[in-house]
Amino acid sequence: MRKLSRSRRGITPVLSSLLMTVIAVAGMSIAITATYVITDGLHDNMGERLIVEDVWFTSDQVSLYLRNVGKVSVNVAAVYIDRIGQSFTALELEQGEHGWLNVTYSWSADSAYEIKVVTRRGTNVVDYYMSPS
Amino acid sequence: MLWTITCRRLRRNRRGVSNIIVVALSLVIILVIVSNIVLWNYEMNQVDWEKMKENVIITNVERVTGSQFTFENDGGLTVHLVSLWIINSTDHQHYDISVFVNSAETKSYLREDISLPTGGYTIKVVTERGNTAVYSGS
Repeated sequence: MRKLSRSRRGITPVLSSLLMTVIAVAGMSIAITATYVITDGLHDNMGERLIVEDVWFTSDQVSLYLRNVGKVSVNVAAVYIDRIGQSFTALELEQGEHGWLNVTYSWSADSAYEIKVVTRRGTNVVDYYMSPS
Repeated sequence: MLWTITCRRLRRNRRGVSNIIVVALSLVIILVIVSNIVLWNYEMNQVDWEKMKENVIITNVERVTGSQFTFENDGGLTVHLVSLWIINSTDHQHYDISVFVNSAETKSYLREDISLPTGGYTIKVVTERGNTAVYSGS
C-alpha cells in the first residue's frame, strides 16, 4: 500500500480496464434485459388462447362465458358487438380459469350479432350469435 | 500445429480481437432470442394441432336418478371434459366436471344432482383444449 501511494505509475491502465469492464458488464446487462423483455412479450402473445363457451342474452345484457385455454393469463380489454365497443365488467382469467363477462347491450330478439372479445395483448375471438326469439 | 501457430500469432497481435468478441456475444443473444421464440412457437403449434385432432360427441342423454350423459371420443387423443352446460329457453346452467375419455372409447357419466329441464334443451360439453360438443333433446 505504501509502495502504491509513493509510485502511481500504472494506475491509468488499471483504471481504464476497470472502467471498460464496468461499461461492458452494463452493456451486456442491458442487452440481456432487452432480450428477456422482447422474448417474454412474444411468448405471452403467442401463448394466449381464449374460447367463448356460452353466450346468454338476458335483459339489456349479453353474458359471455369465457375460458382461458392458453398458457398465460388473459385480461379482456374490449368487447365489440356489431363492431361497436361496449361497456363490460372487467375480467381477468388465469391459466385454466373461466368466468362470466357481462356486457351491457340492448339487443333485439331473433337477430344475429357479431361479438368480438379482444384481450390486452391483442388476441381476439370473434363469432356470430343469435339472440332468442 | 495450425492451432499453435494461430494462438502464438494472436498472443503477439491482438488487433481485431474485440470485434470477434462483440460478434460472438451478439450471435449468442440473437441465438437465444430465436431459439426461444422457435421453441415456444413449436409448443403452441402442438397445442393447436392437438385441439384440431380432438373430436368428442354426446351420443345420448337420459333421465335416470339424475341425468346420464354418454360421450364418445372419435378423435385420436384422450379428451378431458371440463365443463357441462344445460341450456334451455330460461336458464343456462354450468357445471364443472372432470371426465377423461380415451380415444375410440364411449363413456357414460352419471350425475345425480343434475335434473334435465322439461321441454327442449341443449347439452354442451367443453374440453380442456377448448373444443365443444352439442346435443339437443327434449
